Amino acid sequence: MLEIRFAGFGGQGIIRSGIIVGRAASIYDNKYSTMNQAFGPEARGGACSSQLLISDKKILYPYITRSDYLVAMSQEGYSKFESEVKDDGVLIIDDDLVNTDSTKKVLKIPSTRIAEELGHRIFANVVMLGYVIRVTKAVSLEAMRKAIPESVPERFVDKNLKAFEKGYEYA
Amino acid sequence: MKADPRDVFTGTYYIDGDVAMAYGALAAGCKFLGGYPITPSTEAAEAFARIAPRAGARFIQMEDELGSIASVLGASWAGQKAMTITSGPSYSLMMENISLGAAMEIPFIIINIQRAGPSTGVPTCTGQADVMQSRWGGNGDYEIIALAPDSPQEGFEFAVKAFNLAERYRCPVMLMSDECVGHMTEKVVVPEASKIDIEPRRFYKGPADAYLPYKRDPDLVSPIVKAGDGYGIYITGLSHDEKGHPVLESGNSYDLEHARALNRKSTDQYLVDKIRKNRDKIIEIQEENTEDADVVVVSYGISSRVAYRAVEQARQEGYKVGTLRLITVWPFPEERIRELAGRVKGFVVPEINYGQIVFEVDRCAEGRANVVLVPHGGASVHQPEDIYAAIRQLLESKKRYENVFEFRTILERKVFGGGMLKNRS
Amino acid sequence: MDKILEALSKGIEKSGIGRKRVCLVTDILYDPEVLETLKIDLFHTSRGRTIPFATGMKLANPKLKPVVIMGDMATLGGNHFVHACRRNMDLLVICANHFVYRRVEGESASGDYDTVSYSPYLLFENPLNIPHIARSCGSVYTARWTALHTDELTRSISHGLKKKGLSVIDVISPPAELLDFYYRHSEIRNGEDTIHTGIEEEKKIIVGEFLERERPTFIESYNRQLEEVLGDQFVKIEV
Repeated sequence: MLEIRFAGFGGQGIIRSGIIVGRAASIYDNKYSTMNQAFGPEARGGACSSQLLISDKKILYPYITRSDYLVAMSQEGYSKFESEVKDDGVLIIDDDLVNTDSTKKVLKIPSTRIAEELGHRIFANVVMLGYVIRVTKAVSLEAMRKAIPESVPERFVDKNLKAFEKGYEYA
Repeated sequence: MKADPRDVFTGTYYIDGDVAMAYGALAAGCKFLGGYPITPSTEAAEAFARIAPRAGARFIQMEDELGSIASVLGASWAGQKAMTITSGPSYSLMMENISLGAAMEIPFIIINIQRAGPSTGVPTCTGQADVMQSRWGGNGDYEIIALAPDSPQEGFEFAVKAFNLAERYRCPVMLMSDECVGHMTEKVVVPEASKIDIEPRRFYKGPADAYLPYKRDPDLVSPIVKAGDGYGIYITGLSHDEKGHPVLESGNSYDLEHARALNRKSTDQYLVDKIRKNRDKIIEIQEENTEDADVVVVSYGISSRVAYRAVEQARQEGYKVGTLRLITVWPFPEERIRELAGRVKGFVVPEINYGQIVFEVDRCAEGRANVVLVPHGGASVHQPEDIYAAIRQLLESKKRYENVFEFRTILERKVFGGGMLKNRS
Repeated sequence: MDKILEALSKGIEKSGIGRKRVCLVTDILYDPEVLETLKIDLFHTSRGRTIPFATGMKLANPKLKPVVIMGDMATLGGNHFVHACRRNMDLLVICANHFVYRRVEGESASGDYDTVSYSPYLLFENPLNIPHIARSCGSVYTARWTALHTDELTRSISHGLKKKGLSVIDVISPPAELLDFYYRHSEIRNGEDTIHTGIEEEKKIIVGEFLERERPTFIESYNRQLEEVLGDQFVKIEV
């Protein structure tokens, strides 16, 4: 069982990140996955997180106990969920957005900056996903390449795939 | 009968429970949704509104909840399968017409994505506190059927099942989901239409002049016609006889002499009998390891998946713990709980409320087994450790509790209320 | 027979739309024996919820023409009335108007059971100006008659049954012993601006046909809009 937490602000595509990886795992990699989301009282701009479980067996208990990975794209998300990460777990952060003092293993990628170089910061979450998939090997690369076009608006498919590859290469 | 291929969007999806229920309703042949948006059920209505026009189904956003449910009754009388989708206080607003629908014996379903708390409560968070309201919410005596899915896949399947039961027994069926299942995203397989069984509406086939709207078949359910068929039906929410005509003179069955003299007998009793006497056909439960269990965990909806973690831990440590999951919350599996009560030490009932189904369990246990409630005020789910601790406490206790024992969760012991546990979602 | 039912029966005959298509949705209790002679389906709903009930019916089977007879008009369920007018839902709404809350001991014209008074000290509240509400909210045909204007009422009902969209007929139906009084104190002014049709003390009750216009119905708008967006994928509502 792999337990991943995505945390950030509403509008950053945090929930969508969970959906893309979950879809890749359960539909294209033939594994089981459960994605749960949590919004703040207001969807945009508020704190928001999604939790993703991936397993080879049917998932019964559907929530994170201790996460293997925390993908943090906001300081608040980092502070809120840092303690949830296993002692040997890994934190993956956007180092332009998050300052860390964690004793756990931390990996950094300036995903928002990379996305801006690609044209818009809205792709930051997909850049981050490229990085996350390479590091965690949660799902196969092929599965991600199939899941992304299904999960984003048609006119942004190419940009998103490009953003994903950028993140993947960065790792 | 099999589903109509035009209604079934066959495929493998990665969607949340809300959306899955909309797909399920369409697959069941639902052609009408009268709704008024309310969190956390909006995704279901949105999905229906988006997909429905492609399946010849109609969505209308009514002016309020009273209008929503009334439009559902009207649509069903016009011959279409109909439903509404709701939550929290909106569900309360519908009670009057749920009672009317039950009295008119018109099939319809309500999807209730339960939120936390009374009144406005916590709109975006989960709860299971509408369970008793489903059963007793409207005025007067009637029975309903309620189902509790625990995954998006079941959301799809139970929506079909709910419509089938509604058509089969001509009664309201509640799909009692909760925010957790509603907003949980998992793989959902929508099979081909040929693999989905559909209960067709039981239309009257006899001679037109012999038709009585509430004359029953041996299974206590009466065949139905639809508005515009030319039968000149008289349908009312007043207590009525077989013809559907109001029975105002006789005080129902209390004054049998008078009623008999008028040959106008109220059919009210059948509103409960048709469910109670068919309950063996309706009730569905899922049991695991109950044969030699000392403790049985009774749960439904999302709580059953949370309880699983606690049961797993207890079993690993050698405790004999079984699980009983309510697929139909109503009617309640009384006989089975009675049987189990004779040979288990007790029942642990985790539910996201301060005690509802636990009282049904206690009633059926008849003092022969301890009944422990693991309460939760809502907004998140139980900590599995709490359910585990309740199992341990029950196994270790030598005492026989007289009533439901309310297990104080670890956090509740520290903080008054204890509803808002650590936000885990 | 109740005056409104009588006019309804004649109106259905006159309109030629066929009794099978007419469904009476009402929150007033009618004698089932009388209804049997009318040979139309009747649905006696919870009070005030007639219009949404009829709305669901219409959308589920657009071939039906639901007729709503509302009781104590527009108090219970007033919101539904407003929105049905706005949508131009294809219904005929008949308001059995005995003035808001003005229930008087004795026989009511809109139901043959005793009503009791909730106003033992007489009334000081003003009735609603129903034709004006209907018009401002979007109804396509609006008329008012007293229950004794039988021919006019029959004609209006027949017209409303044939008219596409939401027709409203306000029927002044006080207790039977007052019917004649209101009939004598009414004045026919067809085409009157509904701003002047309020019911006031010491003034004549203005009756007549006040409004006739064309607007797309809900189902027409629905079909047009969804067809535009969804194209071939859209399964139209067949009327």
